Amino acid sequence: MIVLGIETTCDETAAALVERFDDGRGRILSNIVLSQTEEHAAFGGVVPEIAARAHVEALDGIIAAAMKQAGVTFKSIDAVAAAAGPGLIGGVMVGLTTAKAISMVSEKPLIGINHLEAHALTARLLNPTPFPYILFLASGGHTQIVAVRGVGDYVRLGTTVDDAIGEAFDKTAKLLGLGYPGGPQVEQEALQGNAARFRLPRPMQGRKEPDFSLSGLKTALRLEAERIAPLNNQDVADLCASFQQAVGDVVIDRLRAGMRVFRERYGAPTALVTAGGVAANQSIRKVLNRVAFEAGTVLVAPPMELCTDNGAMIAWAGCERLVLGLIDTLDVNARARWPLDEVTGVQPTNARS
Amino acid sequence: MRVLAIDTALAVCAVAVLDTERPGMSVRESVPMVRGHAEALMPMIARVMDVANLDFAELDRIAVTTGPGSFTGLRVGIAAARGIALAASRPSVGLSTLAAYAAPQIAKDDTIPVVTAIDARHDQVYIQIFGPGGRTLVPPRVASILDAVRAAAVGPVRIVGSAAGLLAAAWPAGIAAPSLVETHPAPDIDWVARLGAAAAGPVTPKPLYLKAADAQPQDAYGLPRR
Repeated sequence: MIVLGIETTCDETAAALVERFDDGRGRILSNIVLSQTEEHAAFGGVVPEIAARAHVEALDGIIAAAMKQAGVTFKSIDAVAAAAGPGLIGGVMVGLTTAKAISMVSEKPLIGINHLEAHALTARLLNPTPFPYILFLASGGHTQIVAVRGVGDYVRLGTTVDDAIGEAFDKTAKLLGLGYPGGPQVEQEALQGNAARFRLPRPMQGRKEPDFSLSGLKTALRLEAERIAPLNNQDVADLCASFQQAVGDVVIDRLRAGMRVFRERYGAPTALVTAGGVAANQSIRKVLNRVAFEAGTVLVAPPMELCTDNGAMIAWAGCERLVLGLIDTLDVNARARWPLDEVTGVQPTNARS
Repeated sequence: MRVLAIDTALAVCAVAVLDTERPGMSVRESVPMVRGHAEALMPMIARVMDVANLDFAELDRIAVTTGPGSFTGLRVGIAAARGIALAASRPSVGLSTLAAYAAPQIAKDDTIPVVTAIDARHDQVYIQIFGPGGRTLVPPRVASILDAVRAAAVGPVRIVGSAAGLLAAAWPAGIAAPSLVETHPAPDIDWVARLGAAAAGPVTPKPLYLKAADAQPQDAYGLPRR
């Protein structure tokens, strides 16, 4: 089967065609992502109205290009999938409405995808990854540890109570005048820095629940930086290194806690799967490898273009749902907030009354 | 010419199919709504196309209002129109809500100017003024109600649009009162279809916001560097 996937929940306008074979393997036929980073750079973050404006201007062209590159027509595909949330609602509406229009005209099933579910299932697109596995999703908007037990069967084990990890990186970069988006710049600076110079807290360390908190770390970094300002180049590098080290320590501790909870409830996971842009950070990647090794499992890290927002992950989640007959109607609504736990899959037949 | 017309820019969700070769033939649905266009629109299009007994491939054009109006609403309409155009390989065309409001009055009598005023909230209106022959005297812009009245109250005029009443209420003493004040929540969808059929050529519909996105560029940020 071949599914068109559309993603517009944040600042990437994306469309892709993905094929799923009967044995469960997947293949990407095309995957086009138009990033709006430049449109938002002057504002130091994603501006929802600017994002929505950019999506509506670009999306049909991106879809046409993806269709052409894949060599398919609207008649020859099997379904249209679009991210229906969670995310910036103005952009989600553009993507979902476009998907509805294509679905209606081409008489193909519509599938409204939870953006987080798409991240959770991406690993299975390129590697046969059986359920259940543990997912570490970390991006500019999300930081979660999730038990992925099946399609439509997700249990959030932990989440951040304040900032997302990517957001904390961006805010650190902003404070230090490193530009937007800041994650890669902080990582670059940290290479030349002394991670032991500043004593920063490791929030939530030792807690049993695998939750995260980043705002205290961010504040501590700001106080240290203000104390020694004006900053020279070495100060900035040392601050970045100390910050990155602290985040790495937090990730190790919280993921260990997540592993413990997972094992208690579901037994051994088949893998530790990553999703989201934070996994692009090499020092975080090392930490993830270490946690997976300690837990006696493997790290499955999809290539970076599939970890950050893209259309292929939406199309793949569409394939996984279509196989199970999970399709939606033309009045399905866009949702700004949509926790993974609320996503449903195939209902057990014995649940009928 | 067969036209599918869509309007979700203001406080109505409306769809019509017009066939200019079959006079009197028009299928339409129009429901007042402040929110919920995104959920209501596509099933409505499906129903109207069904009653009109047309395939999307049989359409000559998809016409849509591009605003000014609710930013979210006009994007829903434009995304739908452009999505249908893409999937059906049919051309699309955009019409402003300002022109669609004015069209029936200009068609009736094109000697007395027509003022279109759409509520932009915060004591502002989107305004356009059409003179004799339907030519634009004041191009689409956003203005305070006071400035809009100042621009409009120059002689005998007719006022239409969701803010027609607001303008009439602020009309200055001593200037001839408007000969017509017609306040409707949205333009007549049949006229969106007619303008779509009459438009010079298909042009990909683009939003007409008239207001910049509400965002301030950041000042130089970050701690001082040595």
